[in-house]
Amino acid sequence: MADRIFAGVLLLVAIGYTIIAFTLIHAPFQYDPLGPESWPRILGLVAIPCILYVLVRPDVESLGLPARSLGRLAALVAMLLVYAFLFQPLGFVIATFAFCMALSMMLGSRLVPALAFSLGIGLFGYLLCTRLLDLNLPAGILTFLR
Amino acid sequence: MDAVFSGLASGFAVALDPFNLFLVLAGCFAGTLIGALPGIGPINGVAILLPIAYGLGFKPESAIILLAGIYYGAEYGGRISSILLNVPGDAGAVMTTLDGNPMARNGEAGKALSLSAVASFIGGTFSVILMSFFGPALASYAITFSPSDYVALMVFAFASLASLVGSNPVKTLLAAVIGLMLASIGIDANTGVARFTFGIPDILAGIDFLVVVIGLFGMAELIHLVEQQAAGTLKTLKIDKSFVTMKDLAFVKWTILRGSIIGFFIGILPGTGASVASAVAYGTEKRAARDASRFGEGDMRGLAAPEAANNASAGGAMVPMLTLGIPGSGTTAILLGALLLFNVTPGPLMFSQRPEIAWGLIASMYIGNIALLIINLPLVGLFARMLTIPQQFLTPLIAVLAFVGVYSVVSNPHDLYMITALGVFGWFLRKLQFSLAPVILGFVLGGLFEDNLRRALSISAGDWTILVSSFNSIALYLMAFLVVVVPIALSRRRRRLDEAESPKAPA
Repeated sequence: MADRIFAGVLLLVAIGYTIIAFTLIHAPFQYDPLGPESWPRILGLVAIPCILYVLVRPDVESLGLPARSLGRLAALVAMLLVYAFLFQPLGFVIATFAFCMALSMMLGSRLVPALAFSLGIGLFGYLLCTRLLDLNLPAGILTFLR
Repeated sequence: MDAVFSGLASGFAVALDPFNLFLVLAGCFAGTLIGALPGIGPINGVAILLPIAYGLGFKPESAIILLAGIYYGAEYGGRISSILLNVPGDAGAVMTTLDGNPMARNGEAGKALSLSAVASFIGGTFSVILMSFFGPALASYAITFSPSDYVALMVFAFASLASLVGSNPVKTLLAAVIGLMLASIGIDANTGVARFTFGIPDILAGIDFLVVVIGLFGMAELIHLVEQQAAGTLKTLKIDKSFVTMKDLAFVKWTILRGSIIGFFIGILPGTGASVASAVAYGTEKRAARDASRFGEGDMRGLAAPEAANNASAGGAMVPMLTLGIPGSGTTAILLGALLLFNVTPGPLMFSQRPEIAWGLIASMYIGNIALLIINLPLVGLFARMLTIPQQFLTPLIAVLAFVGVYSVVSNPHDLYMITALGVFGWFLRKLQFSLAPVILGFVLGGLFEDNLRRALSISAGDWTILVSSFNSIALYLMAFLVVVVPIALSRRRRRLDEAESPKAPA
């Protein structure tokens, strides 16, 4: 069943892809015999039969996930999105501290080790990357770090 | 032959440069550490560290030497969690758990670790030696390939991928096509026409290779780790004082040699890496053994064969990557993408035009193998400590590394959402038993495949018969046909034999 739902979504995407390849994509004049549209057309025409095969003969019944882990995964993805959202405006140090705290607590760490770990990653990670390795990370609101 | 030795000499000049030598050792060390982490294999390790290595601004040969060091270091390290924890880091290490973990439970953990280190060393070195001779020979042959031959080569690559990787060939093929489709997003380089960008400026230049790699292999792995966290159920076995003896080595010497040969040649096949190599080597050894009853309960041969094979396949997989520009495994697809980031196009000309990269990499693998054997025998206890790193800290660390890597190279917050979305997508693919390696192979080869097809048809002014008009391409299509048909025929035959025998067998 899980297979079928996923394949159904994929099928819609692949049909959309193929329709775009057949209608919207074309070069203003012909540079080479194939042009930019043929390759996506071929890919679409290979993908659709493959997806139909999976739809007809699925081999994965369910994801086998208890509701509890599903909740944890949803929380993880939410944390990642928030982390991505805050990364630049708040800066690496604060965003990373908050993210590491939240995730390690969710995974069952106790408060004090989690605090030490998150502070360490945030501060030392920032200094290590920017000062020693010369990588570009956002300082955010902690402008004195820049 | 002379070209090989002079090439090797120039390669060692590159690899023995103090800075590069340091990178080889650092890469091997870091790779072993990462490989030893439970659940993280070579492909995830290379994927997570690739943008950081790129962001450091090294010369291409230095960066690729570092990444390759991480790659085969992780192939070494993977056995530690397999043996002590019974948790393979990736599909290539699954076979190691079958006999490695029982040996450790029988009180021979030290022996299992040292034996597998030696087997890995022999497999790795054997394949580097073969690679030094095969590589240039294949390159000088491949120089004559025309665009239409390249198209045939790609078809062969995807055929062997679909036939040999994963459980369901259609799903593997579909995964590769998804990779090809992802690669087709962005402005077409030949005509300047935007494809599938929907007016979003962030993807006009296409989806960045780093974003795809980090998303599919870093973030998807992260989600998988959180899913697996049934906190504290894993129990690490202690390392004891037992050690491999000369008598043990003499017992498994032919096993290691067979494993190395199998690993190297399976590694060369496009797309099939350590997982197929170690499975075939284990199966061969079990069938060849006169007394196979102890396999699965701690037989030394069952440990030595897959370990020799998966390290040999790492070298074998480099051969098509360096000489044809077609990666031999998922991890080498990432290395290929890394070279492309540096504007180095791997292919038959690389041995003559960029010898410092091709030969420098090969020479660094000789050094790396020796270094790995040396650091792995006495320091195995240190690496085993990695197993005790609490998961609740390891997991956030992976996410932070992925974010740092992507941001420091691309500096576009949009890509941070992109890796998260690709991570979710990759996790779904994984849950539904698609393999992820074909996706990345498709993504890396997409541009090359399309360019060669279009170039071939430009040459023939639109006549499709050019695709089957040379000896090389016909031979490659024939091989593609065989690689699909032979495994099917073999499994049919085996099934028929089983059916013929089963009535006679006592119930």
